[in-house]
Amino acid sequence: MAVKRQKAITWALGLAASVAILLWKPTVLIYGLQTAGLYAAIAIPMGLVLGIVHIVNLAHGEFMMLASYATYFACKALGMDPLFAIIPTALVTAAFGWIIFQITIRRALKAPELNQLILTFGLAIAFTQVINLMFTSQTYKMPLDYVSASMDIGDLTFGTWSFVFIAMAMLFSFGLQFFLTKTTTGKAALAVGQNPRGAAIVGIDVYKIYGLVFALALALVGAMGALFLTKSAIFPQVGSPFTMKSFCLVAMAGVGNIPGILSASILLGVAENFLRAFRGTRGWADIVFFVLIIVVIMSRSLKGRKS
Amino acid sequence: MLKIRGLECGYGRMKVIEGVDLEVGAESVGLFGPNGAGKTTLIGAIMGINKPWAGSIELDGKSINGMETHLMARMGVALVPQERELFPGMSVDDNLMLGAAYIPHAKDKSAEQLEKVFSLFPILKERRKQLAGTMSGGQQRMVAIARALMSNPKLLILDEPSLGLQPSIVAEVFEVLKALKKTVSILVTEQNVRESLKSIDRGYVLENGKIVIEDSAEGLKTNPYVLKSYLGL
Repeated sequence: MAVKRQKAITWALGLAASVAILLWKPTVLIYGLQTAGLYAAIAIPMGLVLGIVHIVNLAHGEFMMLASYATYFACKALGMDPLFAIIPTALVTAAFGWIIFQITIRRALKAPELNQLILTFGLAIAFTQVINLMFTSQTYKMPLDYVSASMDIGDLTFGTWSFVFIAMAMLFSFGLQFFLTKTTTGKAALAVGQNPRGAAIVGIDVYKIYGLVFALALALVGAMGALFLTKSAIFPQVGSPFTMKSFCLVAMAGVGNIPGILSASILLGVAENFLRAFRGTRGWADIVFFVLIIVVIMSRSLKGRKS
Repeated sequence: MLKIRGLECGYGRMKVIEGVDLEVGAESVGLFGPNGAGKTTLIGAIMGINKPWAGSIELDGKSINGMETHLMARMGVALVPQERELFPGMSVDDNLMLGAAYIPHAKDKSAEQLEKVFSLFPILKERRKQLAGTMSGGQQRMVAIARALMSNPKLLILDEPSLGLQPSIVAEVFEVLKALKKTVSILVTEQNVRESLKSIDRGYVLENGKIVIEDSAEGLKTNPYVLKSYLGL
């Protein structure tokens, strides 16, 4: 009962806050949701890996960075639009992720968590530095005119292209939900996430599922890498804030809670854009996720102590 | 069916199983012994959960020494672990479905098998949509047995099926085992010797990693050592 009431209060507060922001600073809400879509679409695959393989992949954003670079040079060589590269990039990134999983992460699955963190952190550094050596720290950007599409409502003008990220986040979230609850392989993956020993005794090849889930997550990351390139300039360190923010969102949502990532992203996206709306606080926007993660960890541990 | 010779097994440097010979044919076999005797370790070695150090394990004449757990399951060996090892966040239906989905000889017959399992445990049919993790210990044990049966096994291994259950459910579980032994070979470890002797054909007593007694159920019932140590007479 208390939990229900608490939930209702949270929802009511959230709704009231969004109405207030919408009336006061409408662009904050619009850009906030667009940012939320981008964050959620990138964080969802990290949540999938954490929920099933039980690995915090600190090279998550760096995998996306690699996908963006691959897309950039492939598109430039072939004179292709990055949008057409989404599916091929997803497939290539998935294959690459599967190989990286087999030769590195798989061997660390039984190791203590700290070793796993060091391993994926090392991968992140290696990826960043390899790109730095190959392409220097110069930024690359695709000139695309459809990205600057905008829309007017009354005297309000805002960019519309980034709504595509919201669509992606929804697609990933519902697609994964369908995969995990309606297909046999998805259910097996869920079973492996909940109890790997139990999964092995019913004949599920646990390591095969781990590799598959990791590759699936990397396919989504690869798709986002191609799509990210439409909007942003890329450089070797471009992935690392996304690793941190994805981790923040996954931690806020709790392990295995994919819909929770959506609402956590909205909170982060709107809060960042709210601070960006004022000259005095603009520079603070990038540390919002630190504040959120501290608040989440504190409230979790307080709750843990009570029960 | 299952033939173990000179099996040694343990953890780290500690040897737990010190040369065990054991056989299970088309019958129901009990494995008795106190806590720490090595019953669970022995079963773990058969299922590929822990690797044998020495000796041989054969299933239908094929060596299965150190084979991976999921391959054992696919060869027709189903385990009901002491800790049940269910998928707590999934429904009873999904738990049972997964019992058959990855077993080549069972996945096409899962609908029939499900009917059979529901006739053994009618309560599970009423609760098919309930999450396994929210059920009582006894019901979870039934789900674990039902999930194992879904794989249509040749050999069913149960590790302490009566542990932590109320007496009425213990009796029910052993009734089910009695009914099952006509169609499947059973290896069951137990501390509740009195109840399980009613359902088995033959039994072994394992103490400190060694088989100390091997006899028929009738023989065990009258063995003075078993009477004194396990039946409290």
